[in-house]
Amino acid sequence: MVGLSIGEQHFVKGGIAQDLRTDGRKRLTYRPIYVETGVIPQANGSARVKIGGTDVIASVKAEIGRPSSLQPDKGKVAVFIDCSPTAEPTFGGRGGEELSSELALALQRCLLGGKSGAGAGINLSSLLIKEGKVCWDLYIDGLVISSDGNLLDALGAAIKAALTNTAIPKVNVSAEVADDEQPEIDISDEEYLQFDTSSVPVIVTLTKVGMHYIVDATAEEESQMSSAVSISVNRVGHICGLTKRGGCGLDPSVILDMISVAKHVTETLMSKLDSEISAAEACEDES
Amino acid sequence: MSAKPGATTPTYSPKVVGRSRLPIFKDSDLDWSRPDGRGFPQCRPALLQTAAVSSASGSAYAEFGNTKVIVSVFGPRESKKAMTYSDVGRLNCNVSYTTFASPTLGQGTDHKEYSSMLHKALEGVIMMETFPKTTVDVFALVLESGGSDLSVVISCASLALADAGIMMYDLITAVSVSCIGKNLMIDPVTEEEGCEDGSFMMTCMPSRYEVTQLTVTGEWTTPNINEAMQLCLDACSKLGEIMRDCLKQAASASDE
Repeated sequence: MVGLSIGEQHFVKGGIAQDLRTDGRKRLTYRPIYVETGVIPQANGSARVKIGGTDVIASVKAEIGRPSSLQPDKGKVAVFIDCSPTAEPTFGGRGGEELSSELALALQRCLLGGKSGAGAGINLSSLLIKEGKVCWDLYIDGLVISSDGNLLDALGAAIKAALTNTAIPKVNVSAEVADDEQPEIDISDEEYLQFDTSSVPVIVTLTKVGMHYIVDATAEEESQMSSAVSISVNRVGHICGLTKRGGCGLDPSVILDMISVAKHVTETLMSKLDSEISAAEACEDES
Repeated sequence: MSAKPGATTPTYSPKVVGRSRLPIFKDSDLDWSRPDGRGFPQCRPALLQTAAVSSASGSAYAEFGNTKVIVSVFGPRESKKAMTYSDVGRLNCNVSYTTFASPTLGQGTDHKEYSSMLHKALEGVIMMETFPKTTVDVFALVLESGGSDLSVVISCASLALADAGIMMYDLITAVSVSCIGKNLMIDPVTEEEGCEDGSFMMTCMPSRYEVTQLTVTGEWTTPNINEAMQLCLDACSKLGEIMRDCLKQAASASDE
């Protein structure tokens, strides 16, 4: 973890107050984002995202499964995050478990929407093959290789890119069978369906340091934060999920202000991310 | 027990700021009547009792409609020898469900993170520096799950901590709001939570008017979030009053 002397702490906080952070960025500027897709050939979809010093990989694997009895017309999605000890020595063994489950929960909240499925980034009904019997189970795994702050945004971007890269094989239900038997399915090797990711939201984390908020905090700046709010906004401008982290209380008007700042930042971030992802996909197609 | 038998249980329904805009769509298919006959901004009556568990340092029992929760606090007691030295106190939270808490046998899998969410809600409000080298354990048991479980657990836990005499900056109260179609309803029950389009759970310190934890799922427009926040803040301050009354009654009963 980062250890800062008193002088360095004042330098970080003072810079943020004057809209000039230690690396020269303004408060609402992101570090350069680098996206690479198709990094894991065995997975149905994968992506690697680097935001400054933070490096994460996301992979999507699809397996045939049974829909749950509570929701027989929907597929299932599970998100797991693993913080590797290469990022921080404290992540080894059980150390990174708390952070991993917190990140996984926040991502699941943003991607899957409310219980009825409204506002979900992934349309679970599109994963259905045969109601009540066969569906696709998506396992989304995130791996944190290097951590320099702002893990949630990087993981959100990586999952969005991985989903864009995901190709799910076409399935034909081969025979009609009686209600209580499993139908035979034929998984095609040739035809693939691309995932529709137009409604997958991006996550913006606003970190409050002193009286101001910054976007895309580095690990140094995160160590000085009083609280952070991660807001997920979709293309239409609706909030898809919100998580407040950090122990300090926030005035409600500050939270509402953060939401409007997040919406403003999302517009530029979403278009930047889309162009990076399509450039990465084009690169992958050529090679 | 500190509640007087026969006293009416108070409720903490917020005041709705006048909705001057008429509904544009009178959708009959989106109309939702609440299963227990409450209005949308109406909360369930809250029954709160302290000193429910005599062997604990502090405890509280809360009954909000069908959601029944008991929380006991042990501490501050010596940290485990394996833990490193720390000059601030430690907090350990655990939320568990009884096997008979929900109508279906066995608990749902999404309750595992309630322990860490309770920890996050409480860590900002407890003055950890008043009990260095020691640990405070908070154990919450949900006896019956009738909706808004985590909000009731958080409010009950803060009452138990106050009963145990742990120093805090303020009492914390938690309220959740569900969005179904265009309707926002406060303090949802299990059926409403099962088919909600979005949920909004807020934990705040009523006297300091600060939000300590906020969790939003589902798709929300900014006006809806504003409205939900106003409802929650109002309900939280009223619930804070009810909690204070409960503690005062307990204190005066023990003086007699």
